[in-house]
Amino acid sequence: MTRPAAPLMPTLRHILARVHTRLILFAVLMAGVTLIAAGVLIMRDYAERNLALVARTASYTIEPALLFDDMAAAQDGIAMVANGQGVRLVEVRDNQGRLMTRWIRPDAGAMARLEATAEKLLWPSPVTEPVRHGRDIIARLTVHGDAGAIGRYLLSGVVIALACLGLTVIATQILARRLQKDVTGPLAQIADVAHAVRVDRRFDMRVPGADIAEVDQLARDFNALLDELQQWHAGLLSENRQLEHQATRDPLTGLGNRAMFERQLAASVEAAEQTGQGFAIIYADVNRFKQVNDGHGHDAGDVMLIVIAARLRAALRNGDLAFRLGGDEFALILASDTTREVVEALAARIDTGMEQPIMLPSGQSIQSSLSLGWALYPQDSADPRDLLRHADAAMYAAKGRRHATTD
Amino acid sequence: MAAPVFQPAMMPLGSGSDRMAAGAARMTDAILEFTRWPVEKTLVHLCVVGVADHAGQLDEISLSNGARVQVSRLPDPAAATQCDALYIGRMAALDNRRLLTAVRGAAVVTIAEADADCRSGAMFCLLFTPQALNFQLNIDAVSRSSVRIDPRVLRLSKGGY
Repeated sequence: MTRPAAPLMPTLRHILARVHTRLILFAVLMAGVTLIAAGVLIMRDYAERNLALVARTASYTIEPALLFDDMAAAQDGIAMVANGQGVRLVEVRDNQGRLMTRWIRPDAGAMARLEATAEKLLWPSPVTEPVRHGRDIIARLTVHGDAGAIGRYLLSGVVIALACLGLTVIATQILARRLQKDVTGPLAQIADVAHAVRVDRRFDMRVPGADIAEVDQLARDFNALLDELQQWHAGLLSENRQLEHQATRDPLTGLGNRAMFERQLAASVEAAEQTGQGFAIIYADVNRFKQVNDGHGHDAGDVMLIVIAARLRAALRNGDLAFRLGGDEFALILASDTTREVVEALAARIDTGMEQPIMLPSGQSIQSSLSLGWALYPQDSADPRDLLRHADAAMYAAKGRRHATTD
Repeated sequence: MAAPVFQPAMMPLGSGSDRMAAGAARMTDAILEFTRWPVEKTLVHLCVVGVADHAGQLDEISLSNGARVQVSRLPDPAAATQCDALYIGRMAALDNRRLLTAVRGAAVVTIAEADADCRSGAMFCLLFTPQALNFQLNIDAVSRSSVRIDPRVLRLSKGGY
C-alpha cells in the first residue's frame, strides 16, 4: 500500500524520539551537574577538615623537632603525617615569618601548576596552624590542599555522565521503537485502511484493535464509520440496480423495454463482429389488439399482453431475448448461430403457441395471433438500422398477407 | 651493658667562642621542655656534676611552662636524688657508676656531656661535632627512670619509632 510521500513533515516517531532525547538529556544533565556540584562541595568540605587535621597533627608532631632545631626531623615528621593525605605543600615559618622548612608532595610534577590553580579555586587560602610549646607559639604551619582527588572525582563524574548520555541514546531508540509499535503502528494501519477504502473501494476492510486506549477508541470509531459507509454504499448499489431495472424493463410484462432492446442490439452486433457469427431479430405485432382493448377493456388488453409475453419467452431458446417495444409491439433477438431455417421454425413455433385461446378476467376467452417479421444479421443487412427496417417491412408484409386471408 | 642507642638528632651550632656552651644550654633546655616529673615542678633543680666543659650557660635556661631552673654544683653524689636533673661532666668511671646507680628509678633526668658512646647509663648523651650538637638516647635508662620523656622526642631520631 503506497501513501503519498510527505518528506518535509516529521513523523510521529521522530518527534517522539526527539522529545525523549531532550527529556533524558535534560534529566541526565540536571542530575549529573547537581551530583557533581554537591559532590565537589562535600569533598571540599571533607578535604578542608582533613587539611585542618593534618595541620594540627603535623604541628604536634614537629614541635620537639623545632625545639631541638632539627629541620630534617621536622620534615620527616611532616612527611609522615601529610603524605598520601591530599596535601600538596606544607610550610613552617617562625614567628618572624622566615621559612624554617617546607615539604612538597614528592610526585607533584608536570601537573603541579594546574593543580595549584585548581587548589586556589577550591581553597582560596591555605590552612594555617600555630605550633605551640606550652603557652608559646614557636612557629606557624601552613598546609596547602591537593586538588587531585577532587579532579579525579570531577573526571569520573564527567565520564559517568557521558556513559549515561550513551545509555540515553540507546534508551531513546528503544522507547521510540516501542512507541512506534504501540502508537504509530496502529495509526499507520488506520491510514492504510483509509487509503484502501478511498482508492479501491474496499469497504469490507477493518482496522485491528490497538493496545493504547485512545488509539483503540479511534480504531473502533473508524471501524464503526466504515460499517456505516459500507451499508450506505451497499444501499446505493442496490438502489442503482433498481433504477437500472426500472429504466430497462417493461413493468407490465417484465420483458426488456425499447432502450434495453437497442442496447442489446448494439451488443449483439459487436459480438457478431468479433466472433463472425450472425444473429437474427424478429418483430412481432399483436393482431387485432386495438379491438380487444376497445371491446374488452384495458385490463383485458393487459392480460393479453402478459400472456403473449409469457408465450414468447416460452418459445425462446437459451440465450434468446424478448422485448416489448411499446403498445402491442414485441421484438426478439435470437442468439448467434442462426440460419433462416431455424428462424422460420421458431416463428412457426411461436405461431403454434398463440393458437391456444387466452382467458380474460371476465371469464371470456379470446383467440390471439401475431404478425412476425424477421431479419438476419449479416445476411439481410450488416447495418443495425437497416436490419430493423428490414424486419419491420417483413412484419408489415406478413400483417398484410394475414389481412388478405382473413378479410 | 648493650643499651639500645638511637641515632642522634642534629642541632646546628651557631658561631662565637661560646657556641658549644650555648648549644649545650639549648639542648638541655629542649630536653627539660619534654621531661615530665611525677610531680609538676615550679622550680627545677639542675645539678652539675663532675668537670663540665660546656655548662657555662645553663643558668640562662628558662622553661616555657613558667618553671624556673636553678643550677647548682652537686658536691656530694649521694645527694643526687635531691636534684631534678643532672648535667654530668667528666668524672671517674666508678664515681659515675655510683652516681647513676643512686638515681636509677628516681625522678631525675640525666644528661651526660662527655659520654660519646652513651654507655654510662645516662638517659641523654650530648655529642659535640664542629658544626652541630647531637644527642643520643639511652632507651633503657629512659624506661627505668620515673620521669617521663615525651615520646615525640624519641621520634626525632632518624630511623626511630
